Amino acid sequence: MAAHPDTTAPPPGSPHGLARPDRVRRRDVVRTLFGVSALNELQYRVNFFLQLFESLVALATAVAVVALVFLYTPTLGGWAPWELMVVVGVHTALGGVIRAVIQPSMQLLMEDIQEGKLDFALTKPIDAQLLVSLRRITVWPLVDVVVGLGVVVVAALQSDVSVPLAGALIFPVALALGAVMIYCLWLIITTGAFWVIRMEHVAELFNGLYQAGRWPTGLFPGWLRTIFTVLVPLAFAVTLPSEILTGRAGLLALGGAALFAVGLVAFTRWFWRLGIRNYAGASA
Amino acid sequence: MAGPITRGHRIDVDVAQLGRTYKVPVREAGLRAAARSLVRREHREVQAVTELSFAIEPGEVVGFLGPNGAGKTTTLKMLTGLLHPSAGRARVLGHEPSRRDREFLGRITLVMGNRNQLQWDLPVVDSFEMNRAIFGIARPDFERMRDELVELLEIGHLVTKPVRNLSLGERMKAEIAGSLLHRPQVLFLDEPTIGLDVTMQKRIRTFLAAYNARYGATVMLTSHYMADVTALCRRVIVIHHGRLLYDGPLHELAERFETAKTIGVTLADPGRDLSGYGEVLSVDGARVRLRVARAEASAVASRLLAEVQPTDLTIEDPPIDDVIERVFATPDGSRSALPDDGHHG
Repeated sequence: MAAHPDTTAPPPGSPHGLARPDRVRRRDVVRTLFGVSALNELQYRVNFFLQLFESLVALATAVAVVALVFLYTPTLGGWAPWELMVVVGVHTALGGVIRAVIQPSMQLLMEDIQEGKLDFALTKPIDAQLLVSLRRITVWPLVDVVVGLGVVVVAALQSDVSVPLAGALIFPVALALGAVMIYCLWLIITTGAFWVIRMEHVAELFNGLYQAGRWPTGLFPGWLRTIFTVLVPLAFAVTLPSEILTGRAGLLALGGAALFAVGLVAFTRWFWRLGIRNYAGASA
Repeated sequence: MAGPITRGHRIDVDVAQLGRTYKVPVREAGLRAAARSLVRREHREVQAVTELSFAIEPGEVVGFLGPNGAGKTTTLKMLTGLLHPSAGRARVLGHEPSRRDREFLGRITLVMGNRNQLQWDLPVVDSFEMNRAIFGIARPDFERMRDELVELLEIGHLVTKPVRNLSLGERMKAEIAGSLLHRPQVLFLDEPTIGLDVTMQKRIRTFLAAYNARYGATVMLTSHYMADVTALCRRVIVIHHGRLLYDGPLHELAERFETAKTIGVTLADPGRDLSGYGEVLSVDGARVRLRVARAEASAVASRLLAEVQPTDLTIEDPPIDDVIERVFATPDGSRSALPDDGHHG
């Protein structure tokens, strides 16, 4: 079939897009993805109530465990009961971010790598890391974010918790850094699927480890604390925001966390690119 | 914007001495071999594509043929930047695909019949919306193109349904629409009609022909269905064992590879034995089909006309499927049938 271009049709040499700068397109992709996912999930309102129920049950369990511990001791490693509830709140809120934004896309990525379906993400004119990191978003776990932050606010208002003003101001920054670090960890683990095919259980492994984040990492013995700081950065992700809000840590610690986060982001990016190169067989 | 100029022609796809080697681990059967391979892996090199060269001009629709494992998908992956070549050079629209320039990726598309890229749980329109954002298509352009594709592919009633609720054929049409929203200049279609029923295959074929005519897009198509190829491609590139076997007009393929012709005869007196004239392929009432050597076809036909006096006589090339089968049956490494230049129509 020979081509007889229709004179009314635009010339094929002028594709529609890409006139916009990358930055604009990236923002548009993120906005569109959230918008589309939210609109679709909002149709299933029953899921909202299910999620709310689940969040409240999980919260009640966490509160019961904390209450049980404090039946036997007035403070735990220097943490008063309501201070520990701050940790519970941060843990719940970050857990919501993980289940809404991070885990769904990472699981899709893992499936795509295993089944060789990553091709489509790699043939799009946009940063592949951004695309694979935000392809699937489930909205309802964000209920956990609201519930978790609610717990943080309620706990912070109690008389046995003293919140320094600076702490309250930099708390959101610490929380955001925590989310970034957890994202990096997930992407590093998932990128491993480029070399190691069977990675299905990694999600469970990570969620198991994340459960330890309910407790301030300072309560754990030294070697475990090191693991939770460097390997699975629960110390930075969950404990640090709580420490900052309760006046246990300040700007210096936040600076340290920020440095760690920057390093982790850079490493993650490098590792992801290595994975892509391996996928394309650049090294073979 | 345009591809490189070669001898006064613009070339959209330019491939020279392209090669790709895979390293595959080898181990013998048995527990001991498995244990040994844990410590020291032995690898074997497999040549998927070897010294492949061809050029495709803008607006051409080229059928890319070869049996399973011939290296078709490997080649398409190298041309779309998914695989790095191990040897030679590929240029598409003047870009080196493996660099995956955004400008390049914004002007091509890849459709694979057995894979889907639309979001499984979302309505089709939402996936289209995602592609609008990814390709940075201006809203009015996007809407115009979306509506045009929806109309051409007759999928207006489907686009609000989640992808998982669509049939295979419906999904493929939606896939194709989604892949063309950014109006790519070069289309790489890997088995776009695989598994579809005949009607749906035909509809997709008609659409591709219309799209090519309207936008002058360059198309490289692989398909196991020769009907796709005969309907769309005047030129075919045949590869086998990763090597180029034929590059030229589809209608000359039979001349090069097929040593026989089929003579169809309608007898005035049915029942007559024609085995003396050639190999009888079929007898259907008064209609007899004979297979004769290509060089002797006209002589045999003259004899038949004189001696048998049939009511009708036709000389045909064998069905294209048979020709292709014969081409693929060419022994490995045989390059006797290879045209001495890469001429094409």
